[in-house]
Amino acid sequence: MSTHDDHGHGEADDGKVHSHISSLPQYVGIFLALIAFTLLTVAVSNIHLGKMNLVVAIVIASMKASLVILFFMHIRYDNKFNAMIIVVSLLFIGVFFAYTTNDTEHRGEVDLDQTVRILPSTGQPAPGGQPIDE
Amino acid sequence: MTTETTLDEHGHGEDGHADQPSFLAHQFDTPVQQFDAAKLGMWAFLGQELLFFSGLFVAYGVFRLWRPEAFAASSHELNKTMGMLNTIVLLFSSLTAALAVRAAQKGQKSQTSLLLVMTIVCAFIFLGVKWFEYEHKFHSGLLPGKWFGLAREFPSGDLMRGEEALPALPTGASVFFSLYFVMTGVHALHIIVGIGVLTWILLRNMKGEFSKEFFTPVDNVALYWHLVDLVWIYLFPLLYLID
Repeated sequence: MSTHDDHGHGEADDGKVHSHISSLPQYVGIFLALIAFTLLTVAVSNIHLGKMNLVVAIVIASMKASLVILFFMHIRYDNKFNAMIIVVSLLFIGVFFAYTTNDTEHRGEVDLDQTVRILPSTGQPAPGGQPIDE
Repeated sequence: MTTETTLDEHGHGEDGHADQPSFLAHQFDTPVQQFDAAKLGMWAFLGQELLFFSGLFVAYGVFRLWRPEAFAASSHELNKTMGMLNTIVLLFSSLTAALAVRAAQKGQKSQTSLLLVMTIVCAFIFLGVKWFEYEHKFHSGLLPGKWFGLAREFPSGDLMRGEEALPALPTGASVFFSLYFVMTGVHALHIIVGIGVLTWILLRNMKGEFSKEFFTPVDNVALYWHLVDLVWIYLFPLLYLID
């Protein structure tokens, strides 16, 4: 199969497994970076940034996840098809999240005083909101 | 293709190629083909695992968007220090798992065993810390859904902490603790399964089944273990570190 020539496993087509072996300093370096990111995310959580706290936490977690996937799980050196599987999985999680919250964030709630459906976030009449007959 | 099959002194069939290594299943032509097939299967499983967990993460997102103040107040009830300790334990276990694969790739059998044992020990430490956290929540009435608050003595919904009642958390806190217990519970279940498969691989390694040429099971079990770590990397800030 050509897959093995693609990522530098050598040209010898002897049918044997020639997988990349990472160095010990690289593994330890990645681990220390992961610990540093953990301490950073705890430190940042003590600073009040409003909505940005969530964004910062997700960004730091994603950087940690990338390090684990690329180096501990060898995706950096692995068959690119395996990388595609994980990327497509993440893409579909994004679709799942976007479509679900697009629904749940735009449902009108009933305001009993105004007898009208309102947007919960702004208090304004919801698109398509109708007066309630009661 | 030759139809004549002879047996070599190891009892393996000769099919015209060089003699088959004992670890090579008969449906594969070469070790590298077997290796690629096994890794592809493992990654397909890990992709499924991500999608499986995504249901819980999306549920978390929906409820957090609906009740941000309840999630923030409930999050303050969790012990950040214990969460951070467990994060470090799990990251360290990922390091030892990755190094176990490295040792297996180099054919260092006893070092592989030692690193697998360290990974399993870290898994038990993680579960131990989790147990203390759960126990504290059971005593404080920080329980999922209808059990939240143990509110029989305190109809106001105030939380019982030993003898004293503390002010009630905002509406929606019970949903936070439902999600907390289901997400960390399913994750802990993966840790328990991980201890099982790591032990299985450790025993096979001690029997000398792996070599420089054949370390795929060590590699794949380590991949599973890293996935458990990945899920926790997101659970920790989302549950423990809400501002």
